[in-house]
Amino acid sequence: MLQNLLPPLNNHNLPYPDTLHPIVVHFVIAMVLFAIVCDGIGYFTKNARLYEVSWWNMVFATISIFIAIIFGQIEAGLATPYAAAASDLNLHTLIGWSLSGVLAAVTGWRYILRLRSPDSLPMAYMGMNALLTVIVVFQIYLGDKLVWVYGLHTEAVVEAGRAGLLQ
Amino acid sequence: MIATDILTPLLGLGANGLPYGLPIHPNLVHLTLGLFIAAIAFDIVAALYPLEKPIFKFLAIPVTSSNFYDVGWFNMVAAAVITFFTVAAGFYEILLAEPPMDMTSPWGLGAMDTMIWHGVGGVLLLGLIVAMTIWRGFQRYVWREDRARQVQWSYLLAGLGIFVLMFAHGTLGAHLAADFGVHITADRLIRAGLNPNGQLNLLIKTGLIEMGGLL
Repeated sequence: MLQNLLPPLNNHNLPYPDTLHPIVVHFVIAMVLFAIVCDGIGYFTKNARLYEVSWWNMVFATISIFIAIIFGQIEAGLATPYAAAASDLNLHTLIGWSLSGVLAAVTGWRYILRLRSPDSLPMAYMGMNALLTVIVVFQIYLGDKLVWVYGLHTEAVVEAGRAGLLQ
Repeated sequence: MIATDILTPLLGLGANGLPYGLPIHPNLVHLTLGLFIAAIAFDIVAALYPLEKPIFKFLAIPVTSSNFYDVGWFNMVAAAVITFFTVAAGFYEILLAEPPMDMTSPWGLGAMDTMIWHGVGGVLLLGLIVAMTIWRGFQRYVWREDRARQVQWSYLLAGLGIFVLMFAHGTLGAHLAADFGVHITADRLIRAGLNPNGQLNLLIKTGLIEMGGLL
């Protein structure tokens, strides 16, 4: 019933022209990584102004990741992954949802740190940043594979899938 | 694309037409676009701060507008720096592109036209981002150092104009990937008559780099 309310699927198997998830994730990837860079520079140069820059970038990233997940779920649902692509798509989904919780928790932690001591960051937070970098980079790697190796939502893969050639 | 005949034996290109497994340019694009758009967005939030004051008070988030201007400035500087690498990686990967020549994009452009416009647009956007950064720097440190509103309305308007350009430019890039399948392993396998579902696991396990000969 719901399908009848959406425009027909195009040659990317989408009800709109191009994938939106990779666009929304600009604001998660760039903001988280830049926040971590600013924390690092701020830590070594003792420039507390950069801590403000990283805090606001983390707020921006946390809002964005939920929008990224909404479009990610829609597009994963329409991806019709072939067998070779399925496990990476599942892992990307699992880490994506987890990352929303992690980011929200880290930004909440940062909110409290900013209220209590805006001019310094504890070592534990810097360690969390290191861990966050690893998770984000791995998540980017998985998303990259879905597009650039498996070609989900690309014309050639959608066409071959519809013709039943990807068994 | 002309370069591939010469470069393939030298670089050992993989099934995606690159000497490495995943393209670099689209990853740097995340940083360029994210940083630039956030920079303008935070400057807009800063310029409209008097209107938002009650909202931040309600949320119990202590704010000064100079914080937002700091984000607008440092994000813009970072966007300018990273975009040199984004454009450089883009040109390298466009040189190694082998798109199908017998089809057109949803905008009615062939692969060659799409690549040329995406290349020209990339250089143009790099110039604009660097110019915006210099403009922003003058506003921050010289012209408006002691003003409450650190940015000119014309700067914010120019930023919004560049968003429109970025949207068109990004769509051309999306066409190169999702329609022409440039540097997408599965698309290239399909066009070579191979089934990616059968081939990919094998390719990944044996290393994509080795598979240039397959195509």
